[in-house]
Amino acid sequence: MEDMIQVDRAMSTQQGTKISAKGVQVYYGDNHAIKDVNVEIDDKTVTAFIGPSGCGKSTFLRCLNRMNDTIDVARVAGDILIDGEDIYDPKVDPVQLRAKVGMVFQKPNPFPKSIYDNVAYGPKIHGLARNKAELDAIVESSLRKAALWNEAKDRLDAPGTGLSGGQQQRLCIARAIATAPEVLLMDEPCSALDPIATAQVEELIDELRQSFSVVIVTHSMQQAARVSQKTAFFHLGNLVEYDDTDKIFTNPQDSRTESYISGRIG
Amino acid sequence: MTDAPAPSTPAVPPKGKSLLAQDDRTKRRNAAEKRFRAYGIAAISVGLLFLASLLWAIVQNGTPAFTQTFVNLEVALLEEKLDKNGNRDIDDIRKVSTFGYNPLINEALIVATADIETEVEDGDLKKILSASAAAIVRDFVIENPDRIGETVEFRLLTSSRVDGYLKGRVTREDLARDKNLDAAHLDLIDVMVAAGAVERVFNWDFILGADASESRPEQAGIGVSMLGSFFMMLVVLVLALPIGVAASIYLEEFAPQNKFTDLIEVNISNLAAVPSIVFGILGLAVFIQFAHLPQSAPLVGGLTLTLMTLPTIVISTRASLKAVPPSIRDAALGVGASKMQSVFHHVLPLAMPGILTGTIIGLAQALGETAPLLLIGMVGYIASNYPDGIASGFLDPNSAMPAQIYEWAKRADPAYYERAWGGIIVLLVFLLTMNIIAIILRRRFERRW
Repeated sequence: MEDMIQVDRAMSTQQGTKISAKGVQVYYGDNHAIKDVNVEIDDKTVTAFIGPSGCGKSTFLRCLNRMNDTIDVARVAGDILIDGEDIYDPKVDPVQLRAKVGMVFQKPNPFPKSIYDNVAYGPKIHGLARNKAELDAIVESSLRKAALWNEAKDRLDAPGTGLSGGQQQRLCIARAIATAPEVLLMDEPCSALDPIATAQVEELIDELRQSFSVVIVTHSMQQAARVSQKTAFFHLGNLVEYDDTDKIFTNPQDSRTESYISGRIG
Repeated sequence: MTDAPAPSTPAVPPKGKSLLAQDDRTKRRNAAEKRFRAYGIAAISVGLLFLASLLWAIVQNGTPAFTQTFVNLEVALLEEKLDKNGNRDIDDIRKVSTFGYNPLINEALIVATADIETEVEDGDLKKILSASAAAIVRDFVIENPDRIGETVEFRLLTSSRVDGYLKGRVTREDLARDKNLDAAHLDLIDVMVAAGAVERVFNWDFILGADASESRPEQAGIGVSMLGSFFMMLVVLVLALPIGVAASIYLEEFAPQNKFTDLIEVNISNLAAVPSIVFGILGLAVFIQFAHLPQSAPLVGGLTLTLMTLPTIVISTRASLKAVPPSIRDAALGVGASKMQSVFHHVLPLAMPGILTGTIIGLAQALGETAPLLLIGMVGYIASNYPDGIASGFLDPNSAMPAQIYEWAKRADPAYYERAWGGIIVLLVFLLTMNIIAIILRRRFERRW
């Protein structure tokens, strides 16, 4: 049954490379955290990064929207192209990049403001709405896409921090998609959530695939198997294997991948 | 677990001791805990005791300063003395100095005490009044020249000895060695109090008035030096808050981590621990001797105190910026906010309660600081005139509340000692108000996440 769904998902995937990384190296001071990673991430696809803790999957994810810039000692080498443009080009302003590449973090981190303001903040600072009506429309459509509209529409002025954990994470997703990004990065978005909230978010991720290229880092191999079409396995800073999700889980090529997914390492 | 040996023996009482009895170790541990709690309670009790005795001493010694003894006296404003030409020319009237008024007041006293049997000679009656009496009458006459020739009732300050007698500070024995007043004066006062001519009332002049010369403690007030403190605090607030907050935001959020910023950090921490008198001598050297700003001016005092307050504000602001969870910064950067937008839209509002509390604590510290004022000449200056406007409030010589208190405390007259305590009450009321404002602001700006 599950296999059928996966096949179905894989079939509906529209091919076309969105992000292409070539020879990416990341150093934290003297620590070589990412070693020569090459990966092509498809558009309108959910790509999962799996691997044991400290393997560099989050680090690599944060390279994709240059969040590593905020860390003084981090240094990135190699090329990362989005739609053929090098995002580490000196001419690129990380602020513009991050509007195009949204991010959802491990722990739900809504601003201590109202639900409305949380979602409206991104469009406001990027000037995506010319008036209040347009802003309202963006907020509504983002909350709808994040499957939060029905729960939140009557309490848009209530603080976002007053929502439950799962709702907060969906609010963060709504906030990330409100700036109309093309890529959505998710750093273990469900690790702080209970199973029911996790299921809701996973369902949401599958829907988001219609409009975005989604890259998700996860600790849970089951989650990777459930939501993703492509899976990359990281180990000790190396990209060990990258292929269709069902291939990785049923017929891994590398012995390390096999050990990890069968629970012998990690 | 499956291959664990099956329990062969049925349930037997365990070898260990019963849970119902405490073993020695537990007993010792519990006893130690009890002792520690007792130490804590004892420490707090001692602290409260000190606080209570301090407050009691302040209130006990300071409250008399808020009341003052006055004499209600009908003074005949004789035309032949005050306006010889009789044409009410204000310049002629001004020519009569307070010496010219003294006989009138003396005459009024003789009339007022005519029915009272007293050993006090007529010429000595004046000693029950403050030396300010003649000036008060003269001011009134200059304001209202048309009242010359009438008999007007004045409320005049009594001398500090009489005031002290009614407050219980001065006794008849004390007067044995006193040239200013005799016991006979006190008998006279007793009669006048009974008749209602002398009364002790709340003294607004203590809170609003100016300092007076050493021999007139009854006239001295803290009002002018309060203004001096106010103008200094304005300078401190306007300079220290923006500079301190801007410096901390830059250091905390934008500055690269390197040797230079480390050096700055260490220096800020050290500056916070530098004795305040050092800032005083720095202020003297830089603002007065180098920049030639006026001495004793609240502007210079404010600048000096700004230097002293800056480290406090920087340290508390950085601490409250650090306390904002990094996830908020990530969230803002993640939706494409610039560094500055993330700081000003998200981090700063969350750090606001801490920043405001730190600032107000810094201000309160500056308000109570005396030592630096000593070196820039704000201590020892007799703050006897109100500034005439904002500019002169900043630039004219003035004192400050703690400097005024110090000044009073070192004057010889015990009446000034009482005023020093009273001044401390005023200062404490200010500090208390500032702390309450800090708490209110904190509550208002505090947001939970």
